[in-house]
Amino acid sequence: MDEGDSWGMLACLCTVLWHLPAVPALNRTGDLGPGPSIQKTYDLTRYLEHQLRSLAGTYLNYLGPPFNEPDFNPPRLGAETLPRATVDLEVWRSLNDKLRLTQNYEAYSHLLCYLRGLNRQAATAELRRSLAHFCTSLQGLLGSIAGVMAALGYPLPQPLPGTEPTWTPGPAHSDFLQKMDDFWLLKELQTWLWRSAKDFNRLKKKMQPPAAAVTLHLGAHGF
Amino acid sequence: MAAPVPWACCAVLAAAAAVVYTQRHSPQEAPHVQYERLGSDVTLPCGTANWDAAVTWRVNGTDLAPDLLNGSQLVLRGLELGHSGLYACFHRDSWHLRHQVLLHVGLPPREPVLSCRSNTYPKGFYCNWHLPTPTYIPNTFNVTVLHGSKIMVCEKDPALKNRCHIRYMHLFSTIKYKVSISVSNALGHNATAITFDEFTIVKPDPPENVVARPVPSNPRRLEVTWQTPSTWPDPESFPLKFFLRYRPLILDQWQHVELSDGTAHTITDAYAGKEYIIQVAAKDNEIGTWSDWSVAAHATPWTEEPRHLTTEAQAAETTTSTTSSLAPPPTTKICDPGELGSGGGPSAPFLVSVPVTLALAAAAATASNLLI
Repeated sequence: MDEGDSWGMLACLCTVLWHLPAVPALNRTGDLGPGPSIQKTYDLTRYLEHQLRSLAGTYLNYLGPPFNEPDFNPPRLGAETLPRATVDLEVWRSLNDKLRLTQNYEAYSHLLCYLRGLNRQAATAELRRSLAHFCTSLQGLLGSIAGVMAALGYPLPQPLPGTEPTWTPGPAHSDFLQKMDDFWLLKELQTWLWRSAKDFNRLKKKMQPPAAAVTLHLGAHGF
Repeated sequence: MAAPVPWACCAVLAAAAAVVYTQRHSPQEAPHVQYERLGSDVTLPCGTANWDAAVTWRVNGTDLAPDLLNGSQLVLRGLELGHSGLYACFHRDSWHLRHQVLLHVGLPPREPVLSCRSNTYPKGFYCNWHLPTPTYIPNTFNVTVLHGSKIMVCEKDPALKNRCHIRYMHLFSTIKYKVSISVSNALGHNATAITFDEFTIVKPDPPENVVARPVPSNPRRLEVTWQTPSTWPDPESFPLKFFLRYRPLILDQWQHVELSDGTAHTITDAYAGKEYIIQVAAKDNEIGTWSDWSVAAHATPWTEEPRHLTTEAQAAETTTSTTSSLAPPPTTKICDPGELGSGGGPSAPFLVSVPVTLALAAAAATASNLLI
């Protein structure tokens, strides 16, 4: 397979995965409200962030210098189709719940797809194992987000024609450029996981049951 | 026709004229400012005077020995900080001032130390800098902040001259920030730079207003409350978690409790009657590092007031009030001094739980009884 098509091939794969049926709504959590599943999603982002730290370290070492150097600060060129976590502060703060969840869901769908592509090319069996494990956990996170959206009555995002990553034969990717793409994928994944923790924290606060009433009740019983 | 000039004005004019006359130079030139490196040698020429001109050099008004001269030039070897001053050379006979040099002895700057921190996430961050060793001469600093290829403004701190502030434009950025600083003075130049991700420099200020209080009727409890640091702009969206440490003053080992939310905690395993020192630190829930420890709070758990005795031991008892930090925990059994006289036996164990001075007073009372 021509290296130049690598992102293109991934894009093609991504569109296929996009149409796979999402995890069905978790009807049982609907009784307690979305709170527990938001908490679960938050916990999953923390777990994944922790997992990614060791995975990224191993993978960057596999890519070799300068990718594994702590001061490595390349300009963001290429990797245009990666979903970017960066957002204006006020825009982020004022996102409504539906948009917040949708952005998270769409981002991880794309990232999971690209990560699976990475897995195909990884040289060592150990790396493939770690990547596969991470992909499974990431799939779990996607399912969790889908569950929250279903509990809140939001439809799962369907890719609009034209916005989904399409297969276009790109310029021939050198080995170095391919590694740069891998570097940005991991960086974006890490940043998204940090952002998601903040996103789900915000959602958690908004959905919180009147906890104050509960503690007052306990106080009256002399606890 | 001119109005009579006031006497004071006349006196000032006369003084000025006298100064000019004694100086005996015309026209006065501003001293030449010169910077030289510590430890180096410097030769100061006497302005445009010939090498063989007869001149005298003075520093800050004090004559300099002629053996420092090389013709009309002043030679200073192994410059020290004390050499800084105003050097003037005069024509030897007429005392006409030929030339002045304001000499500053210093060093070129070493590599500056630069650090950045965000205690106001997500609003922005600040950077601090300083030189590891002094240069003894004025330095100018220039700070530039790059986010990818975008230049960001670093606003000078109104109070601290070695600090400037940057406002975040975007959150959750994958692109690192690069802060560069260059420092220069008359003798040299140096620079350094640091790069970091948005998340790694987050470090809140310590929690504020840490207060520890005893809990009435609970000799092993202490209630601790604190507030989120006032500099943290949005604790709702960016909640903090806390780390509490406490120990009795008399022990070295701390106990630790990590709290994921809330600004209060009750310690339930305090040693009764011992004074405690308590501190709290804060951290963003997910990113960055722990703050420094807060100002310490001190508290002693509640202890029961000892009941009043009806014997002579009562006077001694007031000196062993429960505010003493080393007072052993009180007991409900009050030692009856009368029991001590019967040579030990079952009453002896009770001595252990009674304040020492109380026991001594009781023994003294017993002894005085025996002596009667």
